[in-house]
Amino acid sequence: MGGSEERVVAVIMVGGPTKGTRFRPLSLNTPKPLFPLAGQPMVNHPISACKRIPNLAQIYLIGFYEEREFALFVSSISNELRVPVRYLKEDKPHGSAGGLYNFRDQIMEESPSHIFLLNCDVCCSFPLAEMLEAHMSYRGMGTILVIKVSPESANQFGELVADPVTNELLHYTEKPETFVRVSDRINCGVYIFTPDIFTAIQGVSSQRKDRATLRRVSSFEALQPANRSLPSDFVRLDQDILSPLAGKKQFYVYETTDYWEQIKTPGMSLKCSGLYLAQFRRTSPDLLASGDGTKNAAISGNVYIHPSAKVHPTAKIGPNASISANARIGAGVRLVNCIILDDVEIKENAVVIHAIVGWKSSIGRWSRVQASGDHNAKLGVTILGESVTVEDEVVVINSIVLPNKTMNVSVQEEIIL
Amino acid sequence: MKALILVGGFGTRLRPLTLSVPKPLVDFANKPMILHQIEALKAIGVTEVVLAINYQPEVMLNFLKDFEAKLEIKITCSQETEPLGTAGPLALARDKLIDESGDPFFVLNSDVISEYPLKEMIEFHKSHGGEASIMVTKVDEPSKYGVVVTEESTGKVERFVEKPKLFVGNKINAGIYLLNPSVLDRIQLRPTSIEKEIFPKIAAEGKLYAMVLPGFWMDIGQPKDYITGLRLYLDSLRKKASPKLATGTNIIGNVLVDESAKIGEGCLIGPDVAIGPGCVVESGVRLSCCTVMRGVRIKKHACISSSIIGWHSTVGQWARVENMTILGEDVHVCDEIYSNGGVVLPHKEIKSSILKPEIVM
Repeated sequence: MGGSEERVVAVIMVGGPTKGTRFRPLSLNTPKPLFPLAGQPMVNHPISACKRIPNLAQIYLIGFYEEREFALFVSSISNELRVPVRYLKEDKPHGSAGGLYNFRDQIMEESPSHIFLLNCDVCCSFPLAEMLEAHMSYRGMGTILVIKVSPESANQFGELVADPVTNELLHYTEKPETFVRVSDRINCGVYIFTPDIFTAIQGVSSQRKDRATLRRVSSFEALQPANRSLPSDFVRLDQDILSPLAGKKQFYVYETTDYWEQIKTPGMSLKCSGLYLAQFRRTSPDLLASGDGTKNAAISGNVYIHPSAKVHPTAKIGPNASISANARIGAGVRLVNCIILDDVEIKENAVVIHAIVGWKSSIGRWSRVQASGDHNAKLGVTILGESVTVEDEVVVINSIVLPNKTMNVSVQEEIIL
Repeated sequence: MKALILVGGFGTRLRPLTLSVPKPLVDFANKPMILHQIEALKAIGVTEVVLAINYQPEVMLNFLKDFEAKLEIKITCSQETEPLGTAGPLALARDKLIDESGDPFFVLNSDVISEYPLKEMIEFHKSHGGEASIMVTKVDEPSKYGVVVTEESTGKVERFVEKPKLFVGNKINAGIYLLNPSVLDRIQLRPTSIEKEIFPKIAAEGKLYAMVLPGFWMDIGQPKDYITGLRLYLDSLRKKASPKLATGTNIIGNVLVDESAKIGEGCLIGPDVAIGPGCVVESGVRLSCCTVMRGVRIKKHACISSSIIGWHSTVGQWARVENMTILGEDVHVCDEIYSNGGVVLPHKEIKSSILKPEIVM
């Protein structure tokens, strides 16, 4: 496959603070990329996948968070996984491609032959080694990971058409307006490029600068809405690179048939935690818990329990439950499809179904925290923020509770500020 | 003289404003809430104020350094590691509150605004010679609170009744106390309620006296009461003929406008409006019963009533914002949008109308 010349670098876009309000209330206390799915921070999953890339030299995390929010994580993950990880803070928005270009010097430091670009809030199996192999056979500027989706859900995504034989990207538009959809394949947000991508991005920048100069000369140009207001260093991968270069034998697609979801909301993070738990069942089942209710609690389906968590043997856990560090699960507790975060105490006989229970929260005896389980609905998964107390026998259904609140009366369908 | 201000917890009832700053630093009438109390204490000669807090001490301390310098009063924090209730914090701050002078010390509740007649309270305290004095205030619905039953002529407190079902009186604890240092001997360092445990004991010994608070009183810990409180506060400024109130042909009723704020042509502002530093109110804007915090821009022809607009937000042209809409920090309401009671968390853009009261996260 490649000698010492074929060094690969991976870049993971982790996003930023004020932009991501959809992940509230969980993002009020923790940066979204560090929120745990199946017991590991969200960004761990693509990072671990990158380890499977042959000749991986470096992983970069690029985002808008303050450096100190990632400093601890980056040093511990570098040690744990034995792969160099660095966090780079963007000073201002440059667009999905502009961000990559902004840090081209660091990225090209070790003269990589290939550069992976991944979005942190994508949940999938990350078949990166296979993607690299396919990309090298296509010999284009880039290869995009794509997946087939149902026609109904395809409408929320861009239109992507590829040649079935050569896998060349023929056509790409962001969220088309025409009703007739010709393709059921969508862009997964995972890409691999050769360093030529930087030339392409620079081309877009220069073109915009020239148009800006032209605008000052011609007032007609200035009135065109498409030309207004985008700074020349703001380059979007989809609209500015993929769309114009589709059909020019530059970009190709690699299709995955595994799962794929975007992790935009707390509800979706619960769904994706379940997907990763199922993945562990296939690839690393020893990470998952087991028990039959005799010496250890009864476990049903895929369950992750942190080694420091204490679970009473009469509790029944799962399917799709994830219990974080130092959590205490009392006697007779039932947990189904939920994420229990660090230091949570769940008292005797309580029931938690389709919910996320925030760090240090306390769930009272015989209380019930549940939701409909519709991961896409605004109140379809009950979310309790940090340090929320649900008193004994209280019921909280289809609700969101912000940090530091005490629930002493039952509620349904509410947001508690 | 010394004073303790009970700042306490997370201020969750004042969210989304308290998602950006701790509650004592939320602006009221163009000044951080706690500054109203610190200034009143400074005015009667208090030399040291202790803030009893359990949340975000770093933010508070930074802010206080500024004020310590400007006001020339010493401000320290006493931080609870576990919630100590309404009396426990006094035990925690004991060493800061007692000195050789043996003077009594004030205890204030940070959510309360009033005229702070502290000089009169000192005289009242001296005249009755008891161990502790509290301010009480008359309310319309005493059964929602704890009622203080007093002897009419002397003000000596006979007893406290929590949420009485029959009428026993209409005066409630206003959250302003003047206590002799000996009161500290009665309080242990554990979660303790001053109303339920400490004051009843002092009252039983006949050593607790209550003074009826002259002027207005409001607990502004939640948005509805915050807006009512602003009305009462501005009304009291009017009664004192304060020069701080704005005047002009575009002003109705009581309005406070910071000197660095700009107001455009053809506006109608008031009644009961506070406009903070650096605000820009463009032409043709109607504002009533609302607070506009630092750095806000209200664009042309917009109309805002009974709402709170948080720091650095913008309200678009022809937008209509009313009925207890609370915008957190850096919220941008687009042009022509209608918000009926929207409660919007910080850093959001409102691109579609909010037709009925709703929380936007």
